[in-house]
Amino acid sequence: MWRDLARVLRLWRPQAGWLLLGLAMAAASALLGLALLALAGQGVAAAIGSAGLAGVAALLWLRPLVLLRPAARWAERMLTHDAAFRALADTRVWFFRRLAERMPAGIGLARAGDLLGRLVADVEALDGLYLRALVPATAALVSVLAVTLLLGAVPALAALVAAPLLAALLLPLLLAPGAARAAADVARAQGRLRAAAVDPLTGIEDTLAANAEARAGVALEREGAALAAAQRRLAWRAAWAGAAGTVLAQAALLGALAWGLAAGSAGAAMAALALFLAVAAAEALGLLPRAGAALAAAAAGAGRLFQAADAPVPVPDPAVPAAAPAGHAIRLEGVRFRWAPDRPPVFDGLDLDIPEGTHLALLGPSGAGKSSLAALLLKLAAPEAGRITLGGVPLEALAAEEVRGRIACLTQDARLFGDSIAANLRIAAPLAPDAALWRALDRAGIGGLVRALPEGLATFCGEGGARFSGGQARRLALARVLLSAAPVVVLDEPTAGLDAATERAFLETLGQVLAGRTVILITHRLVGVERPSRIMRLVAGRAIPATG
Amino acid sequence: MLSPTAARDGAARALLRREARALRLPVLAPVLLGLAAILCGIAGAWLAARLLAAVLGHGAAGAGTLAAAAALALLGAALGLAQERSQLRAGEAARARLRAAAFARLLAAGPADARGVGEKAALVVDRVEALDGYFARWLPAARLALLGPALVALAAALADPASGLILLLAGLLVPAAMAVTGIGAAQASRRQFDQLQNLSGRFLDRMRGLSTLVLFNRQEAEAEALAQAAGELRRRTLRVLRVAFLSVTALDLLAAGALALVALRHAALLGGVPAGHPGPAAAIFTLLLVPAFFAPLRGFSAAYHERLSAAGAAAALAPLLEAEPAPGLRLEALPPRVVVTFTDVRLSYDPARPPALDGLSFRANAGETLVLSGPSGAGKSSVLRLLMGFVRPDSGRIAINGQDATALRPEELRRLSAYVGQRAHLFRASIRENIRFARPEATDAEVEAAAEAARVTGFAAALPQGLDTLVGEGGWGLSGGQAQRVALARAFLRNAPLVLLDEPTAHLDPGTEAEVLESLRRLCLGRTAIIASHAAAARSLGRVVEMEQGRAVTGPRAAKGAV
Repeated sequence: MWRDLARVLRLWRPQAGWLLLGLAMAAASALLGLALLALAGQGVAAAIGSAGLAGVAALLWLRPLVLLRPAARWAERMLTHDAAFRALADTRVWFFRRLAERMPAGIGLARAGDLLGRLVADVEALDGLYLRALVPATAALVSVLAVTLLLGAVPALAALVAAPLLAALLLPLLLAPGAARAAADVARAQGRLRAAAVDPLTGIEDTLAANAEARAGVALEREGAALAAAQRRLAWRAAWAGAAGTVLAQAALLGALAWGLAAGSAGAAMAALALFLAVAAAEALGLLPRAGAALAAAAAGAGRLFQAADAPVPVPDPAVPAAAPAGHAIRLEGVRFRWAPDRPPVFDGLDLDIPEGTHLALLGPSGAGKSSLAALLLKLAAPEAGRITLGGVPLEALAAEEVRGRIACLTQDARLFGDSIAANLRIAAPLAPDAALWRALDRAGIGGLVRALPEGLATFCGEGGARFSGGQARRLALARVLLSAAPVVVLDEPTAGLDAATERAFLETLGQVLAGRTVILITHRLVGVERPSRIMRLVAGRAIPATG
Repeated sequence: MLSPTAARDGAARALLRREARALRLPVLAPVLLGLAAILCGIAGAWLAARLLAAVLGHGAAGAGTLAAAAALALLGAALGLAQERSQLRAGEAARARLRAAAFARLLAAGPADARGVGEKAALVVDRVEALDGYFARWLPAARLALLGPALVALAAALADPASGLILLLAGLLVPAAMAVTGIGAAQASRRQFDQLQNLSGRFLDRMRGLSTLVLFNRQEAEAEALAQAAGELRRRTLRVLRVAFLSVTALDLLAAGALALVALRHAALLGGVPAGHPGPAAAIFTLLLVPAFFAPLRGFSAAYHERLSAAGAAAALAPLLEAEPAPGLRLEALPPRVVVTFTDVRLSYDPARPPALDGLSFRANAGETLVLSGPSGAGKSSVLRLLMGFVRPDSGRIAINGQDATALRPEELRRLSAYVGQRAHLFRASIRENIRFARPEATDAEVEAAAEAARVTGFAAALPQGLDTLVGEGGWGLSGGQAQRVALARAFLRNAPLVLLDEPTAHLDPGTEAEVLESLRRLCLGRTAIIASHAAAARSLGRVVEMEQGRAVTGPRAAKGAV
């Protein structure tokens, strides 16, 4: 766990200045807290002991501290939160870039348990490492050091008071690995609980059709109880750590008093100082058990993040990419491909020749690998054997960016983002003028609907296009692909979710809209109006010529 | 009129109040244990004060007092442990209850519910978990924040009325100061909380659509936009926090002020005990009580964000939990034969669009197979959804053996049917368990017979563990046609009098389609069956009712012609 946490800190290095400033402020405010209580105790003790001037001086110092200490606490909160926000923003962007590089096809898109949501929550929870672990730990450490120094003149007293405090300081570190394991258990139990909810909800028609509501409820309850047990074990550890911390702080306090009793009146002033220092330090140490838990949680989250972020790059770019080819004819020769070594091959000896300007219809039942072909062409996956060329240059010699700039693709999971229609369309062509957007919308058969919206192109799509029906969202995604200037267009089931009339209208105009470009239309059936220049059917991992 | 947000907040508050009431007794234990721990602390402080006074030359206290203080410290720690334990229990029970209720409501809402699975799972898992802090920490902390300081102030007043008064005044000022600094800040920070949620929502949104961004070479531009949005939000959030942190600072200020006042009050001891002062031990005792007085208030302040996040979770859960379960009758016994009659049935999903069913009438006789045919959007699937109780008709009458079907509870209606949807879902289990899902009490022999009848046995034999091969999420990937046959096996095993099939061959290639049709024919034999299909091959299965725009066009006419 320490390695993962150290790696998080390395990621935060660009913000080191801000992070250290926050820690320094936390240290300063902890010292002020210590001073406040010590001076108050010192003053009263001096008054009781009739020590005269010393007591009056201590109480004079108290007045500015009454204002300084809260002000310092406020500044500490502001600075530490500022630093945490900065660090977190960096981590988010780092993680985004990393996944874009290593999991370009996305992860957990349809996966049960919403792995992605979990990972995003893990990123957000990393602020706990700083705000709830590092900041209180620094405050506690500085407090304990100050106590040791202030009592340093009397080594026996210093040892009696500081040793238990130091132990309380180290306790969370000692307990953290065990807590991290317990936290990982909790995360696993939570994953199983989520799966127990997701599986019956995903297949809700089948669940209801089998009258399996009660059975699904029982399974959910079982996983819920398992999660509660795991959480109890984790919380129990934290509670023990807290109790041990309290006992150690009390031990420091009683140590001061015991020393005072032994030393007699000569050590009275020192004993009083030590007592109130111990009380003040206990306040700073009180946050530490939670710091241990925060440390464990952050470590568990970081571990999951790095596991995802360290996935191998599926299709590494060549060190020196070949020059961009002039043409964009596509050729597949003897391609063999499977998604995982333990899965049956999707393609086995696939040959396909797609000259420039071809409008190819690729047919096949679900599971025949039509979408896998798109993944191969876009360098989201690489074939096991055989070769694919674009404009005569092997795909593996070209940079992925170059390939994706030439091939626009409407995938089955094409997503609309929580942004305006215009912004969603301009993902394909950032500089496109409004007129081009309208043209693309009209071609996708949704221009009329957008015109009728009060906010037109500025209409917010909602996350994942939630503002629109499935068919409408699909047409907006289609408009986005039509807007792109790429010479090759791959359309994977472009008319899924469209009603029959719209589907026919779209397919009828497709040839004309995309004239001159290469089109690969992937579909499980032809409607009869497509007029492709070639029709191929995928059967048993190979492409064979077919008629509509 | 209430704004939608106000109504939502009201419902969320009502939910939390209801749960807090239900937890009144379970929460009592941690509160009492917490108070006992505070009493231990007070007693410990008294002993420590007497010891220090003795060191300073006032009164006598020795090793015995020290030992008593140590014992009290251990007792206090033990009480703290017991408090933690009882807190956890209270939260667990409440969460289990809410989770079960939310899950049952989501299942009852059925496939008509427009929420995505991720969102539903978040409701059942994350939202309910987010309430834990409210139950386990906030509820006890809120009560202790009132009772704990009162107890400490009382102890201080018994030792020295003046110090007790100082603490009492400080305590009374806490809510006042928090209100003054907090009212505006709370509003603003609530909005900011929402915006922070929006940013993480945006992050999640872009992550989900990562492949879309990568395919358009836009990942770098989006990464920069993400960084910029985060920077912008940070600046705005800090502006709000500047004010919001003042309320905690007010607490700090009161704590420091009370400490200084108590200390100054006891500075009067300089040069002897004056009249009206209870003496040195009481002075040290009250000084030691100041941190103890503010500790429960700090705990309360630390638990406050639990309440904020619980409010968000409750707002999301409340509408779901408020929905009343649909009432209805139960089936007395499963009828062996079923006659289905639709009379002028109308159904509309969205008032802005043409109705899905617009006065549909037909009759399926016992043992008859009816094929609903027509273009997509004609309303074929809606007929099946009505018969499965996934939706309710707007008007018209649906009768099963002459009895109103909508009077039955939806789950009772479903007991009549074996249903196979367009895309069968395979649960994360073996193929055998997936088939048995339709009728859990079925024997192995019955499951195997169903697998044989649906032609599952054939392809299962080629799998690593045959029928016991794990499928579904993370398991062996079956093709669409194979999954469809597993679903058909479920229908065979279910052995229900009514068979409902929605485009059973939609995603199949012609070879598989022929095989599945042959299985279907046997499934429908001797049962009433309604099949929605636009495939030409399915028309041979039985009598065809042609549908268009939510109505039967040729069926009734053809029937009339035949009479």
